[in-house]
Amino acid sequence: MTGNLLYNNLQLYLFIALFLLGCGLLGVIYRRTLIGMLISMELIMNGAGLNLVALNSFSAQGNAYGIAFTLFIMGIAAAEAAIALGIIIAVFRRFGHIEGGEIKEMKG
Amino acid sequence: MTPGEWIFIGVITATMAGTLAAVLSGSLIYAMFGLVTAMFGMAGIYIYLNAPFLAMMQILIYVGAISILIAFAIMLAGPMYRRPKEWTTLAKFAAALAVALVSLLLLLKVVIGATHNASEAKPLVVTTQELGRIFLDRLTLPFELVSLLIVVSIIGAIMLALFSKGEK
Repeated sequence: MTGNLLYNNLQLYLFIALFLLGCGLLGVIYRRTLIGMLISMELIMNGAGLNLVALNSFSAQGNAYGIAFTLFIMGIAAAEAAIALGIIIAVFRRFGHIEGGEIKEMKG
Repeated sequence: MTPGEWIFIGVITATMAGTLAAVLSGSLIYAMFGLVTAMFGMAGIYIYLNAPFLAMMQILIYVGAISILIAFAIMLAGPMYRRPKEWTTLAKFAAALAVALVSLLLLLKVVIGATHNASEAKPLVVTTQELGRIFLDRLTLPFELVSLLIVVSIIGAIMLALFSKGEK
C-alpha cells in the first residue's frame, strides 16, 4: 500500500459520504411520498456507515470497531425499513394516499 | 493509473450516479433501482477499504432485504396513476437544495482538514473471525440489543399492518 494511490486517500471517502448525506437531505426535504423519503433516509445511513469504515481503516488501525458499528447501522436500517413499511401500509389504508404533506389529521 | 484505480473510479461513479437517480428520479421504482446501484457501488468501496465481509453484508442486507421491502411498499401503495407526482414546486426544490448545500458547506471544512498517517502503517484486513470475536466479546450488549430491536420492529410492523383502521 503506497501512499499515493487514488483509493488510498481518506478525504475521497469522506467526500463520498458527504455527497450521500447531502443527496439524502435533499431527498428527505423535497420528496412528496413517504417511500421517497425512506429511500433518502437509507442514503443518509449509508453515508454514516461509510464514514465509520473509512475512518476506521485509515486512522484507527488495529481494531475493527468501525466495521462492527457499521454492521449495527445496517441492522438498525433494516428495522427502520420494516417499521416504515408498516407505517406506509397503515397510512395508505387510512388516507388512501402516501403523500407526506397531505397527512394532516394529527397536525394540531 | 493502475487498473485498480480505474475500477475504483468506476465504483465511485456508479455510487454517485445511483445516488442521484435515487434522489432525483420522478418515478419511485427508478429511485429504488438507483438505490440498488448505489448500494452495489458502496459494496465495492467497502472492498477497497479492506472490509470484504462488510461488502457482502451490504449486498445481502441492502440489496437483498431493504430494496425488496421498498419494492413491496411501492407495490402496496396503490396504483401508479393515483400517486402524486414526485416533483414538487420549484420553490420547495430550491429550499431543499439550499438546506443541503449549506449543510455540505458546513461539513466541508471538517473533511478538508481531515488528515491521516496511513503511509507507513500496514493495511488492516479484518477477518470474520476477528469481527465475531469483537461482537461476542466486547460488544455483546449492543449485539443483543440490536437483535431485540429487530424482533420488536418486525412484530411492530406486523401489528401496524394487521390492525390499522381502514378508510375513515
